[in-house]
Amino acid sequence: MARVTPGSIDEVEALLAQGAGSVLFVGGGTAMPPGPPVETEISTARLDRVVEYTPADQVVTVECGVTLAHLQGELAKNGQRLALDPPQPEKATLGGIVAANSFGPLRTRYGSVRDLIIGVSVVRADGTRAKGGGKVVKTVAGFDLPKLMCGSYGTLAFIATATFRVHPVPESTVTLRARGGNPVEVVRRVRALQLEPTAMIALGEGTGWDVYLRFEGFAAGVRAQRGKLPELEEVDWPGTAEGTVRIRFGALPTHAAQVARALGPLRARIEWLPMAGLGFATCAAVDRGALEAARRELTALGGWLTVPGDWGPGPASIALQRSVKKQFDPRGVLAPGRFVV
Amino acid sequence: MKQETPGATQAEHKQQAPPLPADLVRRFAAVVGEGYAICKPEQLHTYESDGLASFRVTPGIVVLPESTEEVVGCVKIAHEAGLPIVARGSGTGLSGGALPVPGCVLMGLSRMRKILEVDYDNAFMRVQPGVINLDVSRHIGPQGWYYAPDPSSQSVCSIGGNVAENSGGAHCLKYGFTVNHVLGLRMVLQDGSVVDLGGAVLDRPEYDLTGVVVGSEGLLGIVTEVVLRILRKPEATRTFFATFPSTTEAGNAVSAIIASGIVPAAIEMMDTLAIVAAKAATGVDWPEVAAALLMDVDGVADECEHTSANAIELARKAGALEIRVPKDTAERELMWKGRKSAFAAVGRIARNYLVQDGVIPRSEIAVVLQEIAALGQRYGLQVANVFHAGDGNLHPLVLFDGRDPEEERKAEEMSGEILRTCLRHGGSITGEHGVGADKAPYMAEMFTAQDLETMQLVRCAFDPAQRFNPGKMFPSPRLCGDRPGLYRPHPSELSGEAWRA
Repeated sequence: MARVTPGSIDEVEALLAQGAGSVLFVGGGTAMPPGPPVETEISTARLDRVVEYTPADQVVTVECGVTLAHLQGELAKNGQRLALDPPQPEKATLGGIVAANSFGPLRTRYGSVRDLIIGVSVVRADGTRAKGGGKVVKTVAGFDLPKLMCGSYGTLAFIATATFRVHPVPESTVTLRARGGNPVEVVRRVRALQLEPTAMIALGEGTGWDVYLRFEGFAAGVRAQRGKLPELEEVDWPGTAEGTVRIRFGALPTHAAQVARALGPLRARIEWLPMAGLGFATCAAVDRGALEAARRELTALGGWLTVPGDWGPGPASIALQRSVKKQFDPRGVLAPGRFVV
Repeated sequence: MKQETPGATQAEHKQQAPPLPADLVRRFAAVVGEGYAICKPEQLHTYESDGLASFRVTPGIVVLPESTEEVVGCVKIAHEAGLPIVARGSGTGLSGGALPVPGCVLMGLSRMRKILEVDYDNAFMRVQPGVINLDVSRHIGPQGWYYAPDPSSQSVCSIGGNVAENSGGAHCLKYGFTVNHVLGLRMVLQDGSVVDLGGAVLDRPEYDLTGVVVGSEGLLGIVTEVVLRILRKPEATRTFFATFPSTTEAGNAVSAIIASGIVPAAIEMMDTLAIVAAKAATGVDWPEVAAALLMDVDGVADECEHTSANAIELARKAGALEIRVPKDTAERELMWKGRKSAFAAVGRIARNYLVQDGVIPRSEIAVVLQEIAALGQRYGLQVANVFHAGDGNLHPLVLFDGRDPEEERKAEEMSGEILRTCLRHGGSITGEHGVGADKAPYMAEMFTAQDLETMQLVRCAFDPAQRFNPGKMFPSPRLCGDRPGLYRPHPSELSGEAWRA
């Protein structure tokens, strides 16, 4: 296997055009699914330029190898941020975040990378360079290639640059904790009171949950929201879970209790986003039997569970998914065996 | 896109095709029912155009299915007979997206208007595509919920049409467009198979084809069910209206408000002609100044008070002449009615007009408006501007008299120059109206041949015979499997299964 670290997107284009055999695009390696060996690994480490940043337009374009922490540092100079908070920002690259659809608790208010990306340029398997979307926050010209790239794990094209909408850094922040809270009830309460948390996470080990809510914005609004939940204590936002295996899962938000029961035997730390119905289970090692049992229970609820490289039963639309893959990568050289299709 | 005031005469671009054979008509009627397979010439007229009324094409047949099964039945017949299919919702589109192609099966989805499921705890709703946009919010409003995307045509446009066009609206600055509020879709593919994409449970391990189908302008299949994200209503909304000596000061106010960290729910700009038109149509008592802003902030009440007070202060500093705050909900609604009726209202001050839809980075608003004004002077035509200033989505309306063919030609040329101006400033040829039949030629100015070929890969994955809405969006037809270069007939073309529209 050859490992190359191109210094420009033109070099990536040339590599793919001349035929690099089977290839894997490697960013920070924080969400890389395992798979069969490839002939060429292309590292994005040197594709680390912020290409264009116009604070007045709240739009930024970066090369794929820029890390999230570096980008946030640049944006912070103008009081702005990318409203995405996946784990390991020092290592995770923007290309990888798009490819793996990575997210964190801010998803509660700002959605996922698909809701923040507005443009993309890619290099296709045959070296063709193409772009979709644009650098304005609103455009509907042509098919939405940026969204097609989100969560595609490098199996459709090399994500060369991405353009994002960014948001102002909030003036004020407060985190509250509901100990032993029922996530479904906390969400109902939040909605009844018309509160607008930007981040919400329920942490569980065993059967109970601690629910954390973060309010952000201008101080007046944050104070008012805090005042409406007087019984909750102010705490620091909890740290991200450490562990070698990170399981991802999804279910309807109202299935929080069933999710906790299904995942109990994994003996993992559970992070559950109560408004999105998405979560992570982090543990040192995974018991295959417990994993399969948990997946069966979640699937029966209409949910899903994956570990990197093990995607579970294929989606209902698998034939169409394969057809998209075949159009973009007819020879099957991009990240073989790394995604569902 | 071109608007005509009633009674105006204009040369129409109308195409005809021979009538559909009687046995085919009978087969469609057997699927949808006798009264819902329409092929009498006088009845077909209704379906010859959408909101872009200057383009007219007679469809071969109009079918009005009531269920996914009936859509499947119709698609299968069209597939076997090699007929193109064009989907249509309420027909309010402004880019000719629902313009028939000659002899096509026009599939009207307005009978599919059932609300299938509402789940407040999980914040979603499942609806059929013919449901009217505003009816979604009306249905859940009494419980304190709403559906965010609010195109100006929301009282008549359908969710299916919104999905096809990725419709926006005034409030998408804060809340996003249709694509940010569609969680899943059921759709019928070209061979009649039914596929479910995404859904109320998020992030299934699959490509985000939901995100690709939204905004695909009917080129990928027929959507028969839509899972929508619904939102709890905000605690408060604060609105203000501000007038300015010119669009430059108004543009500066927008920039200052956004730079201060405020994310307005909506921030709309109108110039003198648009204000005059809105007054004539709705009776709002706005002064006839050079520019006005209408702005909403919403959210937690204390935050709204803070941000609206700040925004008003920033507008004053930017040179506002007058600030008006509505005294009650009725006055606020009248202000918004004035804004939302502005397109149609221009019909009161001009015989004909073209509605343009282009996007620029919002920091360029003042410069681009000056360039558009200069274009108006060069062509000797008036331009009214009414647009979504917060996200730089311009809607210049070019006024002309359609009785004068030379003036009409100049208006069309100038409207195209406005798009080129947007592109020169790093923008887009459409922010919310779509490409459709109207702007397909401009796609090649915004995108390279490689960009367009890459987008075509998506189409080839969904619809290799290009049965759905042929001739729309892409500037030059290319069949799946074609290589760039010399033209060679495609096998499906030789067999009569596909053609270059």
